[in-house]
Amino acid sequence: MSTTLPIAGPGAMRAYVGVLVRRHPRLVWGALALHVLAALAGLAAPRLLGGLVESVENGTTTDHVDSIIGLLALFLILQTVVTRYARYVSQVLGEQVLAELREDFVGNALALPVGVVESAGSGDLLTRTSRDVEQLGWSVRWALPEWTIAVITAILTFAAALSVGWWVGLPCLLGIPPLVVGLRWYLARAKDGYLRESASYSAINASLTETVEGARSVEALGLGQQRIEAIDDDIRGSYTAERYTLWLRTVFFPSMELSYLIPTVATLLFGGYLYTQGQVSLGDVTTAVLYVQMLIDPVDRIVSILDELQMGAASLSRLLGVAQVPDDRTATGEVPDGEAIDAHDVRFSYVEGRDVLHGVDLSVGVGERIAMVGPSGAGKSTLGRLLAGIHPPRTGAVTVGGVGLVDLPLQDLRGHVALVTQEHHVFVGTLRENLALAAPPGATDDDIRASLDAVDALDWVDGLPEGLETVVGSGGRAVTAAQAQQIALARLVLADPHTLVLDEATSLIDPRAARHLERSLAAVLEGRTVIAIAHRLFSAHDADRVAVVEDGVIAELGSHDELVAAGGSYAALWDSWNGGR
Amino acid sequence: MLRTLGRVRLLPLDHPGTADHRSPGRFLWWLARGQSKTLAGGMFFGIVWMSAQAVMPAVIGRAIDRGVADKDGTALMQLAGLMLLIGLVQAASGIIRHRFAVTNWLIAAYRTVQLVARHTVHLGGALPRKVSTGEVVAIGTSDISHLGQVMDVSARFAGAVVSFFLVAAILLQTSVTLGLVVLLGVPLLMLLVGPLLSPLQTRSARQRQLMGELSNTATDIVGGLRVLRGIGGEQVFHDRYRRESQTTRRAGVQVAKIQSLLDALQVFLPGLFVVVIVWLGARYAVSGRITPGELVAFYGYSAFLMIPLRTATEFANKVIRARVSARRVCKVLSLTPDVTEPLDPAAAPAPLAELRDARSGLRVRSGTITALVSEQPDDTADLADRLGLCAAEVDDDVTLGGVPLTQLPRADVRRRIVVSDTSAALFSGRLADRLDVTGRARTTGDLERALFTASSDDIMDALPDGLDTVVTERGRSFSGGQRQRLVLARVLTVDPEILVLVEPTSAVDAHTEARIASRLRAHRSGRTTLVATSSPLMLDAVDEVAFLEGGVVVATGTHRELLDTHARYRAVVTRETELVPAGGDA
Repeated sequence: MSTTLPIAGPGAMRAYVGVLVRRHPRLVWGALALHVLAALAGLAAPRLLGGLVESVENGTTTDHVDSIIGLLALFLILQTVVTRYARYVSQVLGEQVLAELREDFVGNALALPVGVVESAGSGDLLTRTSRDVEQLGWSVRWALPEWTIAVITAILTFAAALSVGWWVGLPCLLGIPPLVVGLRWYLARAKDGYLRESASYSAINASLTETVEGARSVEALGLGQQRIEAIDDDIRGSYTAERYTLWLRTVFFPSMELSYLIPTVATLLFGGYLYTQGQVSLGDVTTAVLYVQMLIDPVDRIVSILDELQMGAASLSRLLGVAQVPDDRTATGEVPDGEAIDAHDVRFSYVEGRDVLHGVDLSVGVGERIAMVGPSGAGKSTLGRLLAGIHPPRTGAVTVGGVGLVDLPLQDLRGHVALVTQEHHVFVGTLRENLALAAPPGATDDDIRASLDAVDALDWVDGLPEGLETVVGSGGRAVTAAQAQQIALARLVLADPHTLVLDEATSLIDPRAARHLERSLAAVLEGRTVIAIAHRLFSAHDADRVAVVEDGVIAELGSHDELVAAGGSYAALWDSWNGGR
Repeated sequence: MLRTLGRVRLLPLDHPGTADHRSPGRFLWWLARGQSKTLAGGMFFGIVWMSAQAVMPAVIGRAIDRGVADKDGTALMQLAGLMLLIGLVQAASGIIRHRFAVTNWLIAAYRTVQLVARHTVHLGGALPRKVSTGEVVAIGTSDISHLGQVMDVSARFAGAVVSFFLVAAILLQTSVTLGLVVLLGVPLLMLLVGPLLSPLQTRSARQRQLMGELSNTATDIVGGLRVLRGIGGEQVFHDRYRRESQTTRRAGVQVAKIQSLLDALQVFLPGLFVVVIVWLGARYAVSGRITPGELVAFYGYSAFLMIPLRTATEFANKVIRARVSARRVCKVLSLTPDVTEPLDPAAAPAPLAELRDARSGLRVRSGTITALVSEQPDDTADLADRLGLCAAEVDDDVTLGGVPLTQLPRADVRRRIVVSDTSAALFSGRLADRLDVTGRARTTGDLERALFTASSDDIMDALPDGLDTVVTERGRSFSGGQRQRLVLARVLTVDPEILVLVEPTSAVDAHTEARIASRLRAHRSGRTTLVATSSPLMLDAVDEVAFLEGGVVVATGTHRELLDTHARYRAVVTRETELVPAGGDA
């Protein structure tokens, strides 16, 4: 039943990055230019030192030394100042790009088709929201700038080394084979290895969380040993994953060290040979050795940040993927004539070829109360979602006033029918914000208060020191399950649809809270058409008609009395419920 | 030495031991002592590794003097060979040090998880009353890595200290001035950067806090996406997110202002150090006190010294963080359970002893199914907790065969009386393992019987892998009603002498509830069962109903008797609990 959200391909990612770069040309090019300048200033030291060695060898004065050191200090100051601005500009750019990325992502999530939101479950999206946004933040804020700087520095340092003499390129070439071979070997394995590693820590945390949250069950059922073993198993898995990546590094790191060591030694040897041949000066040899040593740091950073960038790219692809979900409805512009809801020969499947509804017909009169009962898994909830316009039927049609529910713009659909489920999310924010989201534009505080009054919640809201301004939700003032449900109901009053589909709206709340809510709900349902998926049979008793859903079809349909008289499965159940009286 | 690593291969440890949790410092010391061998190994190779780096400039300098400047091919070859050798030693000791460091990280982190897990289990139901779950979970998500890091960095820190003194000694031999510049200059650099760190930390802390809040907002939006897409308000929430995102961005820019200054100082201060040393060295070189090669070596030293400097700063930061984390761990480890073992346990009451509660006047007849009904469902839930010794308050009112539960060994009480409440959790893992907690029910057919009683056939039918299905975290892949039935089946496989069920079918549809009610009776025959419920379908299937008012039993009898004779009972059980209106004559 759960569908997973798509992942963006490399093409879409390149296009998106292109857009971002084009949006901030000044910051991008400014940052690059400053980093180039900073790297250039940093390259002066080996040259000056080489010159110093040369002049000391040939005999010189302290004045000359002092002037060279003065030059060294000057370049240092230049490098310091430029570095300051280069870093600043690139961090500002990083923050800017990151803000746009996450805002686009949340915008895309908020535009996901309702059907996808209802059936995908929030797990995948939540992971993308928390972990991928964080990973990408790390990449954009730290990895990408560091890597870019390292690349600039490496290229310029190599160029500076070559400027000493073409011969410096040869020893550097010797370092490339172990570097390339090691890197290719490592990168081919690193991503999976590190993903497995981080997944193994998620597993440990999940087990620990479960144990902590289920501490009571653990004690009651004597599951202690089992939980300890489960966590030890997770640790074992984590250790295996860690050992794998450790092995990768055990091979990779020495190969890197080798590729740094060889060029340094070779430059010294080759330079020394050329010096004996009188082809280069002592200063040249010194400068060359220092440049080659200076290459180590940026190259090492380029290499070690690569897998971080790989992870960042993977996160980006998951974040962009959310934008690629196609909408499941197109508005035709037809306007409903009346408020009657009709389902005709409705079939539906979540998975291709496995229908869960097999041709359902149901006409709901305006203002009618229908109770749907039936065993779990019979298709009650699915039928409810179709009647609320969440999913389009595979065949057949669900219409309001003759127009298909999925042919209406979402905004209009909400004015016709709403699905009320077990979930009653209270957002972090003030009570007013929590309610206003459902209100039509231009709603006043009076409208909001009226809605609270309708669901019998005005008293406790007014009893709060800050009234509608009270901050609720996670981290704010705690509201009881019943109050949360009242907030959800008040939203319905504000949204004011003529038809409500109630999907086991209270089954998950503590039965203790349900009783307080009867009056609240009764007020919301007043004057509306109601299709209620019911657990408790009293509701069925009081409904205008009862629909017994079994195996994806409506097996029995009629008033309570008719069904009891018919002596079917409903009658048997009622008899048992009613204590045989 | 790699062999040594081979021996600690078996993580997790079989027993994490008993931690010294009197103070964060003691805890860290206790952790360190437990892994002293690998810590020592890491330190040894850390010292070799960094010392190899420290002497490299000397070799290069000598190679430039003897090999290049003197045009001595043999000396050049020899010194190049020496460089290669030192480089190889550095690479080898580097990777061995890394392996030790990772092992040190892992031992500390895993051991802490094991300690916390074992203590959580030891605390049991008392845990949520004493500490928020978030605090314990935070240990797994962040504290273990801080504890691991301090063990990890110790190897490099040892190397940093030794190599620093090594370089200082080399320079002291050449010149006291140079030696002193290094010995005093490096700590001075550490101090100079210090003042900038504090505003940076303030700003970063603010940025981190905003980032955390922003992440919460996003999670909040995604968590309530059904509401937003179902009823509206997308634009409002997107605007709000955008506002917060921009505030976070601006905080980031504030950090950047200081961070970039610090980055520039990281260039400037070490650079200044290099300039000073090279300047002194060059003057010595001009006066002939040192060779040009030695000058190059000085430059190398001054650049190298930044590594021990950074490592020392890193070590200090990590120790501070580890102490904070250790404090959190100590806090959890020092919690004690509510129920203490009796010093002098009473003799175990005979099987099928009667369970009584003096406070409410409840008597649960052995071998029957009794239902508890109350006009205040909280009362029945509280009573159920007390009957199973699960309440925070411990009293002597509840007796089994006349013996107060508090005088029996806790393990005996847990074995004989099992309370399954509405919040009972389903754990992740293979379904069969999670349902059959005793490990015996699978072979005896008791598991199938329990699943049948809990009317879970349709759940099983829908699972392609049946009992081999892997349950996801907290059983989220099941619906509320499915989870409730699986939890019921699980507790039935335990088959305790006395089973207390609180609202076992509140999330189950009426058809299924009726089936469960009728099957429960057969399943529990010969055993004692107590069900707190207000569902007529369930009440109709029990032997006796005890009706509570104000926490006291005011009437007992069968469901039908009470319906007929007790008006307030009738009012409670026939009260509508579904959110569908009465009198739907619209």
